[in-house]
Amino acid sequence: MSLTNEIQYGLFIFFSVISIASAIFIVRQKNVFYSSIALAFLGISVAVLIALINPSAYAFYSAFHFLLYVGSAVVFLSISLLVFKTLTVKEINVPWAGITAVVTGAILFLILIVTFYNTPTVSTGLTFNLQSFANIFLEKYWFPALIIIIALLTTMIEALSLARGGKG
Amino acid sequence: MILGYMGLVVSLILISVGVYGLLNSRNLVRILLSSEIIVNASILIIFSASSLIGRVYLPIYFSIFAISMALVEIVVAFAVIFLYYKIKGTLEVE
Repeated sequence: MSLTNEIQYGLFIFFSVISIASAIFIVRQKNVFYSSIALAFLGISVAVLIALINPSAYAFYSAFHFLLYVGSAVVFLSISLLVFKTLTVKEINVPWAGITAVVTGAILFLILIVTFYNTPTVSTGLTFNLQSFANIFLEKYWFPALIIIIALLTTMIEALSLARGGKG
Repeated sequence: MILGYMGLVVSLILISVGVYGLLNSRNLVRILLSSEIIVNASILIIFSASSLIGRVYLPIYFSIFAISMALVEIVVAFAVIFLYYKIKGTLEVE
Protein backbone atom coordinates (compact mmCIF):
# COMPACT_ATOMS: atom_id res chain seq x y z
CA MET A 1 0.00 0.00 0.00
CA SER A 2 2.25 2.80 -1.17
CA LEU A 3 1.16 5.90 -3.02
CA THR A 4 3.55 8.21 -4.76
CA ASN A 5 3.98 11.52 -2.99
CA GLU A 6 2.39 13.63 -5.72
CA ILE A 7 -0.80 11.56 -5.82
CA GLN A 8 -0.90 11.49 -2.02
CA TYR A 9 -0.59 15.29 -1.78
CA GLY A 10 -3.14 15.80 -4.53
CA LEU A 11 -5.67 13.49 -2.88
CA PHE A 12 -5.02 15.12 0.49
CA ILE A 13 -5.70 18.60 -0.88
CA PHE A 14 -8.80 17.37 -2.73
CA PHE A 15 -10.33 15.75 0.35
CA SER A 16 -9.30 18.70 2.52
CA VAL A 17 -11.33 20.97 0.25
CA ILE A 18 -14.28 18.55 0.37
CA SER A 19 -14.18 18.36 4.17
CA ILE A 20 -14.03 22.15 4.60
CA ALA A 21 -16.79 22.67 2.01
CA SER A 22 -18.96 20.04 3.75
CA ALA A 23 -18.42 21.73 7.12
CA ILE A 24 -19.39 25.14 5.71
CA PHE A 25 -22.43 23.56 4.05
CA ILE A 26 -23.49 22.03 7.39
CA VAL A 27 -23.47 25.38 9.19
CA ARG A 28 -25.02 27.40 6.34
CA GLN A 29 -27.73 25.05 5.00
CA LYS A 30 -31.25 25.95 6.14
CA ASN A 31 -32.57 22.36 6.04
CA VAL A 32 -30.87 20.21 8.68
CA PHE A 33 -31.60 16.99 6.77
CA TYR A 34 -29.24 18.11 4.01
CA SER A 35 -26.78 19.18 6.69
CA SER A 36 -26.79 15.66 8.12
CA ILE A 37 -26.13 14.26 4.64
CA ALA A 38 -23.19 16.69 4.39
CA LEU A 39 -21.94 15.31 7.72
CA ALA A 40 -21.58 11.93 5.99
CA PHE A 41 -19.37 13.57 3.35
CA LEU A 42 -17.34 15.19 6.13
CA GLY A 43 -16.93 11.82 7.86
CA ILE A 44 -15.82 10.15 4.63
CA SER A 45 -13.35 12.98 3.89
CA VAL A 46 -11.86 12.83 7.39
CA ALA A 47 -11.52 9.01 7.12
CA VAL A 48 -9.65 9.40 3.82
CA LEU A 49 -7.46 12.20 5.23
CA ILE A 50 -6.50 10.02 8.20
CA ALA A 51 -5.63 7.15 5.87
CA LEU A 52 -3.54 9.44 3.66
CA ILE A 53 -1.44 10.76 6.57
CA ASN A 54 0.11 7.30 6.95
CA PRO A 55 -1.54 4.68 4.69
CA SER A 56 0.27 1.65 6.13
CA ALA A 57 -0.54 2.49 9.76
CA TYR A 58 -3.83 4.35 9.76
CA ALA A 59 -5.81 2.54 7.05
CA PHE A 60 -7.17 0.21 9.75
CA TYR A 61 -8.61 3.07 11.79
CA SER A 62 -9.83 4.79 8.62
CA ALA A 63 -12.01 1.76 7.81
CA PHE A 64 -13.23 1.73 11.42
CA HIS A 65 -14.13 5.43 11.22
CA PHE A 66 -15.92 4.91 7.93
CA LEU A 67 -17.94 1.91 9.15
CA LEU A 68 -18.80 3.07 12.64
CA TYR A 69 -19.19 6.81 12.20
CA VAL A 70 -20.50 7.22 8.67
CA GLY A 71 -22.16 3.85 8.44
CA SER A 72 -24.08 3.93 11.68
CA ALA A 73 -24.00 7.31 13.43
CA VAL A 74 -24.69 9.58 10.46
CA VAL A 75 -27.22 7.19 8.92
CA PHE A 76 -29.03 6.95 12.27
CA LEU A 77 -29.07 10.74 12.56
CA SER A 78 -30.26 11.32 8.98
CA ILE A 79 -33.10 8.81 9.17
CA SER A 80 -34.16 9.85 12.68
CA LEU A 81 -34.53 13.47 11.58
CA LEU A 82 -37.50 12.46 9.46
CA VAL A 83 -39.71 12.20 12.58
CA PHE A 84 -39.75 15.99 12.89
CA LYS A 85 -42.34 18.03 11.02
CA THR A 86 -40.20 21.06 10.27
CA LEU A 87 -36.51 20.76 9.56
CA THR A 88 -35.96 24.34 8.44
CA VAL A 89 -33.66 26.46 10.59
CA LYS A 90 -34.50 30.03 11.53
CA GLU A 91 -31.48 32.12 10.61
CA ILE A 92 -29.93 34.28 13.30
CA ASN A 93 -26.94 36.56 12.91
CA VAL A 94 -24.56 36.75 15.83
CA PRO A 95 -22.05 39.45 14.83
CA TRP A 96 -19.19 38.19 17.04
CA ALA A 97 -19.54 34.51 16.03
CA GLY A 98 -17.07 34.72 13.13
CA ILE A 99 -14.49 36.62 15.16
CA THR A 100 -14.81 34.17 18.06
CA ALA A 101 -14.39 31.21 15.70
CA VAL A 102 -11.22 32.69 14.16
CA VAL A 103 -9.81 33.56 17.60
CA THR A 104 -10.52 29.99 18.81
CA GLY A 105 -8.67 28.57 15.80
CA ALA A 106 -5.73 30.93 16.39
CA ILE A 107 -5.51 30.04 20.10
CA LEU A 108 -5.58 26.31 19.29
CA PHE A 109 -2.84 26.88 16.69
CA LEU A 110 -0.65 28.62 19.29
CA ILE A 111 -1.28 25.84 21.83
CA LEU A 112 -0.29 23.21 19.25
CA ILE A 113 2.87 25.13 18.32
CA VAL A 114 3.92 25.40 21.98
CA THR A 115 3.10 21.71 22.59
CA PHE A 116 5.11 20.52 19.59
CA TYR A 117 8.04 22.74 20.57
CA ASN A 118 8.21 20.98 23.97
CA THR A 119 7.43 17.41 22.83
CA PRO A 120 10.36 15.17 21.87
CA THR A 121 9.98 13.24 18.62
CA VAL A 122 10.06 9.45 18.92
CA SER A 123 11.94 7.85 16.03
CA THR A 124 10.46 4.35 16.19
CA GLY A 125 9.35 4.29 12.57
CA LEU A 126 5.72 4.41 11.54
CA THR A 127 4.98 0.70 11.15
CA PHE A 128 1.76 -1.02 12.13
CA ASN A 129 1.25 -4.64 13.10
CA LEU A 130 -2.33 -5.77 13.68
CA GLN A 131 -1.34 -8.60 16.02
CA SER A 132 0.72 -6.39 18.34
CA PHE A 133 -2.05 -3.79 18.18
CA ALA A 134 -4.60 -6.38 19.34
CA ASN A 135 -2.26 -7.66 22.08
CA ILE A 136 -1.69 -4.18 23.50
CA PHE A 137 -5.40 -3.43 23.21
CA LEU A 138 -6.40 -6.51 25.23
CA GLU A 139 -3.63 -6.15 27.81
CA LYS A 140 -3.65 -2.42 28.52
CA TYR A 141 -7.01 -1.12 27.42
CA TRP A 142 -9.46 -3.87 28.43
CA PHE A 143 -11.25 -1.74 30.99
CA PRO A 144 -12.04 1.24 28.66
CA ALA A 145 -13.12 -1.34 26.06
CA LEU A 146 -15.51 -2.85 28.59
CA ILE A 147 -16.94 0.59 29.38
CA ILE A 148 -17.42 1.28 25.67
CA ILE A 149 -19.17 -2.05 25.14
CA ILE A 150 -21.59 -1.32 28.00
CA ALA A 151 -22.19 2.22 26.67
CA LEU A 152 -22.91 0.89 23.18
CA LEU A 153 -25.32 -1.71 24.58
CA THR A 154 -27.10 1.01 26.54
CA THR A 155 -27.27 3.08 23.36
CA MET A 156 -28.85 0.20 21.50
CA ILE A 157 -31.51 -0.16 24.21
CA GLU A 158 -32.13 3.58 24.07
CA ALA A 159 -32.47 3.53 20.29
CA LEU A 160 -35.00 0.69 20.60
CA SER A 161 -36.89 2.74 23.17
CA LEU A 162 -36.90 5.71 20.81
CA ALA A 163 -38.18 3.54 17.99
CA ARG A 164 -41.06 2.39 20.19
CA GLY A 165 -42.05 6.00 20.73
CA GLY A 166 -40.41 6.54 24.12
CA LYS A 167 -42.73 4.09 25.90
CA GLY A 168 -39.92 1.88 27.23
CA MET B 1 5.63 14.89 7.61
CA ILE B 2 4.12 17.61 5.42
CA LEU B 3 0.76 15.83 5.42
CA GLY B 4 0.79 15.95 9.22
CA TYR B 5 1.13 19.74 9.16
CA MET B 6 -1.51 20.00 6.44
CA GLY B 7 -3.84 17.84 8.54
CA LEU B 8 -3.33 20.18 11.49
CA VAL B 9 -4.24 23.21 9.37
CA VAL B 10 -7.36 21.50 7.96
CA SER B 11 -8.51 20.43 11.42
CA LEU B 12 -8.02 23.95 12.81
CA ILE B 13 -10.15 25.34 9.97
CA LEU B 14 -12.81 22.68 10.69
CA ILE B 15 -12.80 23.57 14.39
CA SER B 16 -13.28 27.26 13.53
CA VAL B 17 -16.22 26.39 11.26
CA GLY B 18 -17.71 24.18 13.99
CA VAL B 19 -17.39 26.92 16.62
CA TYR B 20 -19.02 29.37 14.19
CA GLY B 21 -21.92 26.93 13.71
CA LEU B 22 -22.30 26.44 17.46
CA LEU B 23 -22.45 30.16 18.14
CA ASN B 24 -24.54 31.16 15.14
CA SER B 25 -27.49 28.80 15.61
CA ARG B 26 -30.35 28.16 17.97
CA ASN B 27 -31.54 24.99 16.26
CA LEU B 28 -30.73 21.93 18.40
CA VAL B 29 -29.98 19.65 15.44
CA ARG B 30 -27.61 22.17 13.90
CA ILE B 31 -25.86 22.58 17.25
CA LEU B 32 -25.42 18.78 17.38
CA LEU B 33 -24.08 18.73 13.81
CA SER B 34 -21.65 21.56 14.58
CA SER B 35 -20.34 19.66 17.58
CA GLU B 36 -19.86 16.64 15.29
CA ILE B 37 -17.68 18.79 13.01
CA ILE B 38 -15.50 19.56 16.05
CA VAL B 39 -15.34 15.84 16.98
CA ASN B 40 -14.14 14.95 13.47
CA ALA B 41 -11.59 17.77 13.53
CA SER B 42 -10.31 16.65 16.93
CA ILE B 43 -9.74 13.11 15.68
CA LEU B 44 -7.89 14.48 12.66
CA ILE B 45 -5.72 16.59 15.01
CA ILE B 46 -4.83 13.49 17.06
CA PHE B 47 -3.65 11.59 13.98
CA SER B 48 -1.79 14.54 12.47
CA ALA B 49 -0.02 15.36 15.74
CA SER B 50 0.85 11.72 16.40
CA SER B 51 2.36 11.28 12.96
CA LEU B 52 4.48 14.38 13.58
CA ILE B 53 5.89 13.11 16.90
CA GLY B 54 6.29 9.52 15.67
CA ARG B 55 3.63 7.67 17.66
CA VAL B 56 1.71 4.99 15.76
CA TYR B 57 -0.54 3.01 18.10
CA LEU B 58 -1.56 5.72 20.57
CA PRO B 59 -3.93 7.70 18.27
CA ILE B 60 -5.61 4.50 17.08
CA TYR B 61 -6.51 3.35 20.60
CA PHE B 62 -7.59 6.82 21.62
CA SER B 63 -9.67 7.40 18.49
CA ILE B 64 -11.43 4.02 18.68
CA PHE B 65 -12.72 5.00 22.11
CA ALA B 66 -13.43 8.57 20.98
CA ILE B 67 -15.45 7.56 17.93
CA SER B 68 -17.41 4.99 19.94
CA MET B 69 -18.27 7.64 22.49
CA ALA B 70 -19.23 9.99 19.63
CA LEU B 71 -21.71 7.35 18.46
CA VAL B 72 -23.17 7.06 21.97
CA GLU B 73 -23.26 10.86 22.21
CA ILE B 74 -25.23 11.19 18.96
CA VAL B 75 -27.92 8.75 20.12
CA VAL B 76 -28.21 10.27 23.61
CA ALA B 77 -28.29 13.82 22.22
CA PHE B 78 -30.91 12.82 19.70
CA ALA B 79 -33.06 11.31 22.47
CA VAL B 80 -32.83 14.60 24.38
CA ILE B 81 -33.71 16.57 21.24
CA PHE B 82 -36.67 14.26 20.59
CA LEU B 83 -37.93 14.78 24.15
CA TYR B 84 -37.48 18.55 23.82
CA TYR B 85 -39.46 18.52 20.57
CA LYS B 86 -42.29 16.51 22.19
CA ILE B 87 -42.54 19.01 25.06
CA LYS B 88 -41.95 22.32 23.26
CA GLY B 89 -43.09 21.47 19.72
CA THR B 90 -40.06 23.16 18.17
CA LEU B 91 -36.36 22.54 17.65
CA GLU B 92 -35.37 26.13 18.31
CA VAL B 93 -33.77 27.02 21.65
CA GLU B 94 -35.25 30.12 23.27
